[in-house]
Amino acid sequence: MNKKIRIAIPNKGRLKKPAIEALGQAGIEVLEEERAYVSETSDPRFEVIFARANDIPVYVQYGAVDLGVTGHDLIQEREANVLELMDLEFGKCTLVVAVPEESTINSLGEVPALTRVATGFPNITRKFFEKMGKQVEVLEVSGTAELAPKLGLAQIIVDLTSTGETLKKNKLKIIGTVLESTTRLACNKIAYRTFEKQINELIARMRGGMEKE
Amino acid sequence: MTAPVARIVTTRMPSAPEPIRLFYVNNVFRYSQSYLKREREFCQAGVELVGCNTPEADGEMLALLISSLKEVGLREVRVDLGYASLLKDLMNAAVLDTQQKASVQGLLACRDSVGLQQFMEQNSFPSDLRDAFLELSRCRRLDEVSSISLSGSKYDKLNKQLDSLTELQKTLVDYEIDDLVFFDFSLTKKIEYYTGIVFEASVPNLGLPLGGGGRYDNFIEKFGKLKLPATGFALEIGKLLQALNAQGSEIPDDTKSRVIVASKFRDTAIEAVKVLREGGVIASLEITGRSLEKTIEYAKLTETDYVVSVVSSLKSTVTVYDIKTNASRNVMFETFLKELGGRC
Repeated sequence: MNKKIRIAIPNKGRLKKPAIEALGQAGIEVLEEERAYVSETSDPRFEVIFARANDIPVYVQYGAVDLGVTGHDLIQEREANVLELMDLEFGKCTLVVAVPEESTINSLGEVPALTRVATGFPNITRKFFEKMGKQVEVLEVSGTAELAPKLGLAQIIVDLTSTGETLKKNKLKIIGTVLESTTRLACNKIAYRTFEKQINELIARMRGGMEKE
Repeated sequence: MTAPVARIVTTRMPSAPEPIRLFYVNNVFRYSQSYLKREREFCQAGVELVGCNTPEADGEMLALLISSLKEVGLREVRVDLGYASLLKDLMNAAVLDTQQKASVQGLLACRDSVGLQQFMEQNSFPSDLRDAFLELSRCRRLDEVSSISLSGSKYDKLNKQLDSLTELQKTLVDYEIDDLVFFDFSLTKKIEYYTGIVFEASVPNLGLPLGGGGRYDNFIEKFGKLKLPATGFALEIGKLLQALNAQGSEIPDDTKSRVIVASKFRDTAIEAVKVLREGGVIASLEITGRSLEKTIEYAKLTETDYVVSVVSSLKSTVTVYDIKTNASRNVMFETFLKELGGRC
């Protein structure tokens, strides 16, 4: 079988550039970075697919691509049954629970029952509060969850933060951590069986590239 | 479907001679806790071999799994096999608590060998167990596993399990499928339920397993007094079709022809419908008394293949209107039936 190994990388956003760089360090140069969905690489065994970061876990799970570079948070949110073969260590961020600065809630324990929580991560959020035994109403918003308390949509948000700047700007304080995340090399379980040798070689080269830095 | 089969074995077949070989093709309903919108009904074909726990029984299941997939027309079939009880016993030998066990399973399932090594160092694993773990997670072939053994009488149970894998390997050689079955220590799904080998079938073109199974020696007793070892597997029909599609295989079209018989000779028409149905054709009688043109129009709208007009006897020629090509011809009824693949 001479099928190419497909690697999905984010088509935009903060993960795109470091993902391309990480592959470059492993000797896989992406040849058509601009405006292409599928790109050849300098290594004829691999091709790169550009996709939305939050779709990549599903692409990988269903084998539409063999490998994918995406956030651990997104893999968890999509409940994707994939191998996380490698921590690429960039795109570090934390999924936190935050409330308005003036709120009387200062810890997770103080979150009252039936509180409305706005988040772009409804699955993780629901599971997180279920595990705590707290019944909350999870409102899914795509992006700018930090606006929700201001508009009265929700009392609490669960959102990503890397520096805390956006939260501060919106006068929100962190009362708990849900998940620490970095970017991972995700792999389809069957593809790993089919291409184990090539994939392990790729990982070794990426590890080598990361150590050089 | 294993649970319903176990219930049947316990309640309806308590004195059936063993081993019992059962099969099913059925729609399965699975409520998934996941918030993903997966289909909850799917068609499964499976087998169970009850009342025997020899390597020959395991070998028979693996051979049947592979030959079923080949029979369906799939190429490059492979089966990956883990060992639930070996993993359980290894973790018990290392005296892990529930949380540590979950961590080890998670690391294995993710194939994170670096993480696994770190975890074992941090949790001061005995070096012989650590080596066995790492060695097993590296093994891809069953014959590689047979070279692993642990010294010391406290590991007797573990070594016995490793030996049984060697025996299974020999069985697979006799079945000539040893080159299609691979070892995969990371296969740890439903470890609480499986008591021996656990396996999964796949082809390179499809990113999801086609099905799988394993040995469950402690399950049937949960339904009654019978304590019976058992093994089995199930295949998802939808996945098989997807895989065939991905491999570019033609899926044979065995849909039956649809025919409407129209005639003013009611007795002959009824007989024609009867003969067509007996020949495996989906036939119906024109009962409204509408004109032939209207009947053909109706046939077009109802995905019917032919409208047949018969005269007073089936021994003479009939007029066949082919709805797809819009052509009509006169042909002996018998010839027409043969063309449809029917029997006289």
